[in-house]
Amino acid sequence: MMSPAALTRRAAPVLACIGLLAVWQIASLVLKNDSFPTAMEAIRAIPDILGDKESLINILASLRRMALGFAVAVLISIPLGLLMGRSRSVAAFFNPLLMVVYPVPKAALMPIIMLWLGVGDITKTLVIFLGVSLPVIYHSFEGAKAVEEKMLWSGAAMGLSPAQRLVRIVLPAALPEILTGCRTGLVLALITMITSEMIARQSGAGNILFNALDMGQYDTVFAMIIIVGAMGICFDAIFERVRARLVRWSEPQFDMPLSFS
Amino acid sequence: MTAVPARSSEWVRPVTLPEPASAIIEIDRVSQVFQTSARKDHVALSDISLTIEEGAFVSILGPSGCGKSTLLYIVGGFVSPTSGAAKMKGQVITGPGPDRGPVFQEFALFPWKTVLGNVMYGPRQQGVRAAEAEAQSRALIEMVGLKGYENFYPKELSGGMKQRVALARTLAYHPEVLLMDEPFGALDAHTRTRLQNDLLNIWERDRKTVLFVTHSVDEAVFLSDKVVMMSKSPGRIRAVIDIDLPRPRRRTELLLDPRYQKHVVDIERMFDESDEAGPSL
Ligand SMILES: Nc1ncnc2c1ncn2[C@@H]1O[C@H](COP(=O)(O)OP(=O)(O)OP(=O)(O)O)[C@@H](O)[C@H]1O
Ligand SMILES: [Mg+2]
Repeated sequence: MMSPAALTRRAAPVLACIGLLAVWQIASLVLKNDSFPTAMEAIRAIPDILGDKESLINILASLRRMALGFAVAVLISIPLGLLMGRSRSVAAFFNPLLMVVYPVPKAALMPIIMLWLGVGDITKTLVIFLGVSLPVIYHSFEGAKAVEEKMLWSGAAMGLSPAQRLVRIVLPAALPEILTGCRTGLVLALITMITSEMIARQSGAGNILFNALDMGQYDTVFAMIIIVGAMGICFDAIFERVRARLVRWSEPQFDMPLSFS
Repeated sequence: MTAVPARSSEWVRPVTLPEPASAIIEIDRVSQVFQTSARKDHVALSDISLTIEEGAFVSILGPSGCGKSTLLYIVGGFVSPTSGAAKMKGQVITGPGPDRGPVFQEFALFPWKTVLGNVMYGPRQQGVRAAEAEAQSRALIEMVGLKGYENFYPKELSGGMKQRVALARTLAYHPEVLLMDEPFGALDAHTRTRLQNDLLNIWERDRKTVLFVTHSVDEAVFLSDKVVMMSKSPGRIRAVIDIDLPRPRRRTELLLDPRYQKHVVDIERMFDESDEAGPSL
């Protein structure tokens, strides 16, 4: 049996969603604006989109780019961040570079990248890659910097080489921090995915959304917003489960009951 | 153990003459200077020479900041001295190695590994087969009194238990020398006494060489064959005192032993004198 507190905790997200939809429904009924369909209309448009082969191909193409951009970014950013955190010279080299790139909205780089690489998959994937990289590098860097020196010394005394220490001590010790960065990166991947498709139309979930907007099919626009939002929530929830499992050893004690819920 | 006499700097030991069988660690005129940002260079250790015999339990005692940890790190190979050299069995120490096992005051356990995982880490790294490493590690965990906690993560353990794991983890890869930096410093008096007894039992069983840093005069006298007293600013060796108390030692008997009491009082007097000689900042 679940305790009342646990029940509330579980029901809270569902209640929040229902509440949001209710407010939306009422607001649109009150405002009576053509470009603001009711929640019910938007929800009714969802099966049409998901049932349409063309739309599904578009959405899957988006997800493929997102997955690729995210995966490559993580695979490159984690080692780079860890190296920066443990080597002063690597940090000295890359820090200024990243400081320049950091505040630039990655989508703003798209027109330039499009000039070089065209409007195809490569450009969009590259933008997603850039969006994901920075938070992952930053968190890996901070995580690696914070690794207790005595832990590395203990490893060295056992005979671990510097490379082994990076992989077998710095990486696991920094994992909680790294995964925090990856979680931010995942949400950013979704955001940059849509933005990139807004700038370079052609295919993708963003393409459906902005085409519908051009044609005044507002129920489709809002249905797409719901679909993209739902995808974001699902990805985040799945990732959070994986993360919690991987770093159970580091969670504070009072979180234990939550992780079993 | 004797303080190594100063020699001319280019004196080279003939290769054919073996070390006296008993010397395992030689610290030869080691100085350590740290560059501090604010003030001028800070001399943490000045011209330290010390020989440690194989199988001896040697404590280093001194005021906070006199360089005890730094000296231990130099022997561990984690820090290289500004001048002079530390040698292990005649070889100049240039880096860490499994022949010298540190136990840090901060525990420095691997938090993502269980108790068993931590203790097995060294043997596995050394290429011991998993099953064998596990059996040895389980025995060690039992020896340090943590049977039943094999699958606990470090965050689930108390300070005293963590310190036991740290000791077991280091013992697991069979270092010839144990380097212990105030291992019981953070523990309450009761746990501290228990761990001291346990450490003595373990040590009396296999007589590893131990270099043991501590703040506590009682602890040093109770455990050691020799006590090295250091003074501060710059860190120097003030005296090396032989503790000729019989073994095996029992705490309750020792506390009533006038020889034990005399050692403790003598050492405390020496510290008082140095306090009067000048304020140690
Ligand atoms: N990495 C470092 N950089 C600069 N100064 C240092 C460094 N490590 C140690 N010192 C200085 O060297 C001196 C000796 O430090 P050390 O940690 O060896 O002292 P200690 O005897 O172990 O003290 P405690 O008993 O408090 O642990 C101190 O004055 C300290 O400030
Ligand atoms: Mg110290």
